[in-house]
Amino acid sequence: MDRMAELLRVDHLEEDRWERSMRVGWLDMDAVRSAQVLVIGAGALGNEVVKNLALSGVRRITVVDMDQVARSNLNRCVFFREEDALSNMGKSEALAKRALELDPQLEVRPLIMRVEELEVAEFERHQIAFGCLDNIAARLHLNAHAYFHGIPLIDGGTLGTAGKVQVVVPPTTPCLQCAMNRTHLQVLEKRFSCTGADTSFYEPKLAAEITTTSVIAAIQVREGLKLISGQGDRCLRHLLYYNGLTNDIQELEVPLDLDCPVHARREV
Amino acid sequence: MRMTVRVRVRNAETGSTVDMELEEENTVQEIIEGAAGYWEKDAGAYVIRKGKKLLRGQQTVLQASIIMSDDLELIPDPEGG
Repeated sequence: MDRMAELLRVDHLEEDRWERSMRVGWLDMDAVRSAQVLVIGAGALGNEVVKNLALSGVRRITVVDMDQVARSNLNRCVFFREEDALSNMGKSEALAKRALELDPQLEVRPLIMRVEELEVAEFERHQIAFGCLDNIAARLHLNAHAYFHGIPLIDGGTLGTAGKVQVVVPPTTPCLQCAMNRTHLQVLEKRFSCTGADTSFYEPKLAAEITTTSVIAAIQVREGLKLISGQGDRCLRHLLYYNGLTNDIQELEVPLDLDCPVHARREV
Repeated sequence: MRMTVRVRVRNAETGSTVDMELEEENTVQEIIEGAAGYWEKDAGAYVIRKGKKLLRGQQTVLQASIIMSDDLELIPDPEGG
């Protein structure tokens, strides 16, 4: 054996990309490195979620979004550039391309489509889904499919300085639909953040703020890492509501709705 | 005889409040729509919470255990991404 190869160098800890992550006691880096995750939506939340996943060591990520990069996305989407907007690049493509700059070992698979067009097999091949959507119809579709296939869904939403995270772990927790009412149905198809000139048909009540988005995406990814690392008992079970103006964070209980069609379908 | 309860609803966005008189068979949904209409809220998704609990829209005042002098809060549901 070559004795020189066994020599310890004083800076060897600095050469391992994941050395610091390995020191995090609750994090199972082997599980994190082998996890396959689905990110639905490549807007501001999707950008932040993928950034956090990549820096946390998650390597296999599928990103789904039907939209193209618009210049007005650039104030809050860390992976998008001027040239992406000029070339009308797909959001999921731009995100996949730039995420490689963070970690060349990443395997980011971009899918340019609506979540409603996603093949059922995609839900089966991933172990966790992140909801980074901007409309309720798409959320409900993702919610039902993730629940039916038994994969946890970590949904995020923002509105100005406010945001929320809901963790849905089938079959034990309430789902997104359990927390909805008639006001949600009244704006079912409306989109809450899209700014592309060719696709925008709804004026958001409040402009999206990257600081809110960053907080919400960070909580989403931390909850995801807990689930991947077998720390599900430490995970949110209901809905976390964040108010950035008052610095208030609360977990609100969502009652399980036994009439919710998602749960009824599960029991059949 | 119909039982009525008077509750106070707080607007989470502005901090203002309004008192509402409710009957047992009124639904949480109706409270949401009544309060949102009173404050002329934009079209959007809203929820009501009582303490640390979100109330289901279909529940009646009775089912949701809303009682006299309860403090409720109308919260916009963040749906942007």
